[in-house]
Amino acid sequence: MASIRLENITKKFKNTTAVNNISLMIADGEFFCILGPPGAGKTTLLRIIVGLEKPDEGSVIIGDDAVNEIHPSKRDISMIFQNLALYPDKTVFENIAFPLRQQKIEDEEIEKRVVEVAKHLKIDWLFEKIPSQLSGGERQRVAIGRAIVRQPKAYLMDEPLSNLDALLRLEMRVALKELQTNLKETFVYVTHDQVEALSMGDRIAVLNQGKLQQVDDPAIIYRMPNNMFVATILGNPPMNFLKCLLRRKNGTLQIEHAAFTLNSEDKKVFSLLKAGVGATGIVLGFRPEDIKIHLSKPGTVSIPAEIYVTEPLGSETIVDIKLGDNVIKVLAPPDFVGEPGQSVWITANTHKLHLFDESSHECVFHATEKSAFTIEA
Amino acid sequence: MANIVLDKLVKRFGKQVAVNELSLEIKDREFVAILGPSGCGKTTTMNMISGLLKPDAGTVRFDGSVMNNIPPGKRGVGFMFQNYAVFTYLSVYDNIAFGLRIRKMETEQIDKEVQEVARLLQIRHLLSMPASNLSINDMQKVALARSMVVKPQIFLLDEPLSNLDAALRNVMRAELKKIQQELGQTTVYVTHDQVEAMSLADRIAVMNFAVLQQYDAPHNIYNRPKNLFVANFIGSPTINFFEGRYRGGEFNLKDFSAGKMSVSKENKKQVDDSIRGEDIVLGIRPEHLKVGSSRDGVSGLKAKIVSVEPLGSKTIVYMHPDGNPSAILKSSMDSDFKPKIGEMTSLIINEKNLYLFDKKSADLVMRFGS
Amino acid sequence: MEQKLYVKVLKFFLIVFVTMLFFFPIYWIFSMAFKPFPEWTAAGGKIYWFPNNPTFNNFRAIFSRKLEMSPIAGTAIRPILNSLTVSIIGTAIAMVVGIFAAYGISRYKAGGNLPFMLLQLRMFPPIAIIIPIMIMWAFLRMIDTWYGLAIIYGVVTLPFSVWLMKTFFDDIPKELDEAAIVDGCSNIGAFFKVVMPLAKGGIASSALFVFILNWSDFLIALILTDRRWTTIPVHISKLQSAMVGALYGPKAALGMIAAVPPIVFGILIQKYLVRGFTFGAIKK
Repeated sequence: MASIRLENITKKFKNTTAVNNISLMIADGEFFCILGPPGAGKTTLLRIIVGLEKPDEGSVIIGDDAVNEIHPSKRDISMIFQNLALYPDKTVFENIAFPLRQQKIEDEEIEKRVVEVAKHLKIDWLFEKIPSQLSGGERQRVAIGRAIVRQPKAYLMDEPLSNLDALLRLEMRVALKELQTNLKETFVYVTHDQVEALSMGDRIAVLNQGKLQQVDDPAIIYRMPNNMFVATILGNPPMNFLKCLLRRKNGTLQIEHAAFTLNSEDKKVFSLLKAGVGATGIVLGFRPEDIKIHLSKPGTVSIPAEIYVTEPLGSETIVDIKLGDNVIKVLAPPDFVGEPGQSVWITANTHKLHLFDESSHECVFHATEKSAFTIEA
Repeated sequence: MANIVLDKLVKRFGKQVAVNELSLEIKDREFVAILGPSGCGKTTTMNMISGLLKPDAGTVRFDGSVMNNIPPGKRGVGFMFQNYAVFTYLSVYDNIAFGLRIRKMETEQIDKEVQEVARLLQIRHLLSMPASNLSINDMQKVALARSMVVKPQIFLLDEPLSNLDAALRNVMRAELKKIQQELGQTTVYVTHDQVEAMSLADRIAVMNFAVLQQYDAPHNIYNRPKNLFVANFIGSPTINFFEGRYRGGEFNLKDFSAGKMSVSKENKKQVDDSIRGEDIVLGIRPEHLKVGSSRDGVSGLKAKIVSVEPLGSKTIVYMHPDGNPSAILKSSMDSDFKPKIGEMTSLIINEKNLYLFDKKSADLVMRFGS
Repeated sequence: MEQKLYVKVLKFFLIVFVTMLFFFPIYWIFSMAFKPFPEWTAAGGKIYWFPNNPTFNNFRAIFSRKLEMSPIAGTAIRPILNSLTVSIIGTAIAMVVGIFAAYGISRYKAGGNLPFMLLQLRMFPPIAIIIPIMIMWAFLRMIDTWYGLAIIYGVVTLPFSVWLMKTFFDDIPKELDEAAIVDGCSNIGAFFKVVMPLAKGGIASSALFVFILNWSDFLIALILTDRRWTTIPVHISKLQSAMVGALYGPKAALGMIAAVPPIVFGILIQKYLVRGFTFGAIKK
């Protein structure tokens, strides 16, 4: 049981900065996900916490103790590696018992604890086997068993589910979340899979190119992304972006695209114009589920468009829509039928739109119920 | 213009049967996906169409003429493989022009064709770059361009998107579909990803253990899967299965402490007629299995919520049925649904969404509501 | 594809021919060792393909105190013991130093590019460096001593052991050491408790390889020994007679004896050898 605090951690490998000035506070008993694409520095960050890498700058604090100078074997943190790193020549029992053996615990006590953990994970009938004789899911459980048997201060996991097939991954995801709910221990979970992060994390930290992009609840990160990167990495299909022009006209502010215009009277949007944001252009972002497609012209204000291609998925249909020179993805119900080239009309959920600065990619404005836009075709 | 007919194709590797009596008809201009888990024989099938492998029995016909003894280079097929072979020592332009130059086409004509393909794939700005400097995503597009530029009548694609990152895979999927619709070559697409197969193909051939399971339009594969394997393989999250027995107008489902579910009067006769044995499996897709108590169709089945996946556009709820804590049920709910973990909840099932399978043969025997 | 019959037959004979080519020298040394004097001298130009009158005389001859036909060579007991002593100690030196060096290079990239530059030195033919070494050894009074020979054997084969062991350590996923460290081992503890047991096969097969190199050395032993610490290869070369020239029968007998230790060693570690050679296959 311990919190983990990172203060201004920086780590360079030769010319690349793997982790760039990151500060994080992971609360005691929290399921904390670190999400990012390959090469974002998330594994390096994990290895710094456990002590397999030394940060060039900054400090790691576990509980109340700074552990920078403490050897990983003394930090009392367990880690599950991406390839699990089970000891291939040792039996399942010895694999799980290994961390206890290092603590000079009596054999009887070791046996008792290993059996207890294995029973809980339903792998106690595999004790005599070696890892190569196990299935993917069983190996996973042995790795979890080895991690929890010594009751460490925190658990670190580096994409432990990435080598499993889809069905097993789902099962293990549920099992891991259940385990954490029961143990109430600190879990730090690294992944590149947004579904894993959304489904397991109490909070998510999004990382890109060594820099922290956003830390928050899954729902908030999804609804209010800090920048275009965060908006893209969460959600499938990801958020649509349209490059627009920002200008003032007759006391309202207009966001202009070839196919439509948005009007806003929100003061915050006005201040953007003053601050010079979006001087070259501004990017309008919206999620595929916030757009509705109409096969005939609806009564409300709608934007005429044309179907580019449809992708039926069974439970829903992704419709690619041509809007000016851009193609956007829209989620439609499973029974949606449309031909490429067919004319349609779209309406948008105007309080779920976002504006991003084109040059910095930062989000400058989230629309809300109060400050929704109005559409002009 | 070409149609492809596979007639009772068999391919063995030693004692292992890789493809067993596969018959498939692919129409001209059709986009067919061969879908299955790894080792199901899908790539072997593809290699027999291209000519890289010779079938042990059966015939491959293009437009009626037997192709069995025609070498791959003479079949007029274009390939694209999983690990795209791009010549890194050539420029992008030379890569794309490669096949045309082999065919001794005139320089002007080559230039026209290359530019056209590059425009279609939006890689015109890359043409003068050396291929070694490309990102994986662009490399994929170059490989695609190279196989497209020779205008094959038949286009064979072997998991072409599997090495791309998720974001680009989404974009390329739509592009690929668009391009095929524009060019209209007969296309065979091998994949293990059901999303790709569903979204791209006109028809899907689902394979497992060397045997064709079902060959139909995506919509039918999803809504009328022929057997448990197909039902389970298509759809994400996967379909829910309830094992149990049927007797006297009533299902008794094993995983629930109170697992009785009676069939409505309208459907009882049809169930009685189509059922083959007492042991059955009921299937219901996650988007049709709802959680809560207020709506119609409460089934009396109970389950404990163990995990929740807020996916933004929807929320997936995972549950253990109350009689079996190792089984997992999946329900797809609206994104504003906020369940409590650990809570016991009722399942809402509308009879018309049920799939009824015979347990012994694993075949679909009845689809409610149709 | 079905093969034509004549292709199959041709293939079969080719395989038989090549196999015979490989096995003939082994057969020849075996048959020579048991041939009596007239047969191995092939007097009168007649070649005996099989020992017509098998005898142990050649073995008796090499173990007799004084070889009648060759006044310069004494009994072979001493060279056999010498060979065993220096080869085993030389191998031990190469292996102990090699294992740690290889682990350091594999895991901690110790020394940067230097190890590989040193390995390249091994490409020097021994003849190019043996004279300066002889002068050094003479200066250090290590000529014709067991330690003088053992040390040079260890040094000369060290690059091979480092190279071989490094590839074995490279094949063991780094995460295993790291998992052990996180599980509570010190760095060196992780090496002994997790990596060493996994590298057993690699260590055994490298040791066999290095041992064979040392065991079959002729040049170094010839130059750095004189009388007391001559080894088997040197002794074999001394089996000469003024009357009949090379004593092929006794040479073959001693050669057969020389083949025994590597074979025994090989059989003892066979279990690990197979494992060592297929190590790449066992990891995921």
